[in-house]
Amino acid sequence: MAAIDTDEDDFEVDAEDLDNTPVAESDSERLSLLVNDLHVTYRVFGAKKVGHGPAKKQTALQKFLSRGASQQGVREVKAVRGISFSARHGESIGIIGVNGSGKSTLLRAIAGLIPPASGSVYVAGDPALLGVNAVLMGDLSGERNIMIGGLALGLTQQQVKDRYQDVVDFAEIGEFVNLPMKSYSSGMGARLRFAISASAVPDILMIDEALSTGDAGFRAKSKARINEVRESAGTVFLVSHSLATVKSMCERVLWVHKGQLVMDGPADEVCKHYKKFVNETKKLAEERAAEK
Amino acid sequence: MPPPLERTYAPEWVETTARQNGLDRMGVRPSLREYIPELWKRRTFIRVLAISKAQAKNQNTYLGQVWALLTPILNAFVYILIFGFILQVGRAGIENTIAFIVVGVFMFRFFEMSLTAGSKAIRTNMNLVRSVHFPRAVLPIAGVAAELTTLAPALVVMCVIAYFSGLLPNEGAVPLAWRWLLLVPAVLLLWCFCTGVSFIMARVVAQTPDIDNLIPFGARILMYASGVIFSIDHFVGKFSWGWVMEYQPVAVYLSLARSSILNEPAYPLDPVMWLVGLGWAAVFLVGGFLYFWQGEETYGRN
Repeated sequence: MAAIDTDEDDFEVDAEDLDNTPVAESDSERLSLLVNDLHVTYRVFGAKKVGHGPAKKQTALQKFLSRGASQQGVREVKAVRGISFSARHGESIGIIGVNGSGKSTLLRAIAGLIPPASGSVYVAGDPALLGVNAVLMGDLSGERNIMIGGLALGLTQQQVKDRYQDVVDFAEIGEFVNLPMKSYSSGMGARLRFAISASAVPDILMIDEALSTGDAGFRAKSKARINEVRESAGTVFLVSHSLATVKSMCERVLWVHKGQLVMDGPADEVCKHYKKFVNETKKLAEERAAEK
Repeated sequence: MPPPLERTYAPEWVETTARQNGLDRMGVRPSLREYIPELWKRRTFIRVLAISKAQAKNQNTYLGQVWALLTPILNAFVYILIFGFILQVGRAGIENTIAFIVVGVFMFRFFEMSLTAGSKAIRTNMNLVRSVHFPRAVLPIAGVAAELTTLAPALVVMCVIAYFSGLLPNEGAVPLAWRWLLLVPAVLLLWCFCTGVSFIMARVVAQTPDIDNLIPFGARILMYASGVIFSIDHFVGKFSWGWVMEYQPVAVYLSLARSSILNEPAYPLDPVMWLVGLGWAAVFLVGGFLYFWQGEETYGRN
């Protein structure tokens, strides 16, 4: 799996970009989140086979018949399989794991955006999730999207207007704000989405890889913003492939593998084990490549 | 590679801890008493979303918003040409075919577009649904409201066409009258009804995407069954079950709009029709809302 390589090298983040001030420990004892035995199942249309390797070859007629007969067109994918943990106010938690391990799904389920198949999630206040994939509305201008995003987060129109300039400045999109969002570069879009979500100071802020798209200056600003959320006793979740980012921003890390929680502990310790695991996988892949 | 953590909490402990820390359960349907005020708080959101959607719709064309007027006019033109002048179906029992078809087509188009908007409400806004938490009923409501904002200018065009068609030599006159104002409550009732329908379609299509493919056929059947381009009254007498066709919601709203604008002896102002229209609007709005709300926690799974 080539995807794993990026985790290890962190080439998208230069170590010197990140300031090395230690991540402050939160002192609150009150819980802000409680997840118990969470299972999330996706319904996928059009899938014939789940698993590795190519599907068995079928003729068009066979495909047609089998679809009608036994509903094989719809598959269930178990993305999260029994995860339990709790989080306190003011904590910042990183979630790491290889691609497809269920990190983003876990985040969405805790945010209440994907209904759990079983298990329960208890949350204080309203969580806000921001991810790179969450395009608001591509046909509309950035200005409109700021309004729609802010209103969706529960701000009033006046509050959005008051914070409008802050959001534009934070996202550094300048005059692009009047163009449709589909004309933005991926970095611009991600910055704007982060700025919109962060404008509301939510009780729980969830960030899905959004920071890897920004440059060093933007990352420094985001870190400041995340600290603000934490200071107002909010909890921050961060999904990232960059171990350096996770280490610089989080005090605690959850390692998710194949939809299950494998490790939960202080950032340094979990990252050390994760790095070891990634290196082993990489070595294995290299050996296999050498054999061929 | 360490083994997965085998950690689950005891359900009783989870419940008491959640209560002690003031945590709310996620992913469960909120009660109506929480849901409706929450929805009311988002009314600005609905308005902004509706206006933005209406504006974004024709953005990729040179003529832009002009298409919002041009499309129904061209639509009406085709039907007038085929059903009014070539096949002559639209002439039976009608004095002013042009005005009759124009009002029918403009009003029905609003219903048809609302139906489509409702069916796409969840799917086209999946990004929004999967990134922010808000009452999902916002989406179908905003979809229909977006259609309403495009309908408003179209209604002016509709009235102008209807009035001037009355000046043609072989068409019945359509004089200006105070009852034209009744078009406003007629459209408002139709709007309530359409919102109700879009609630139902939104949930049905979110759960069974296949239904989306059937919508054009359903809309087509309803179009012929509601007398958009010909007088149902004229044909209804031939069947014993004709009253079903006459009092089904879409036909009722078309008849309300026509009785307000047109000067047709076959469409007098009928208080019974207004009551039926009010009834349908209430039944569909409340029923559709409850039906949509019952699926609240499932949106966003696919």
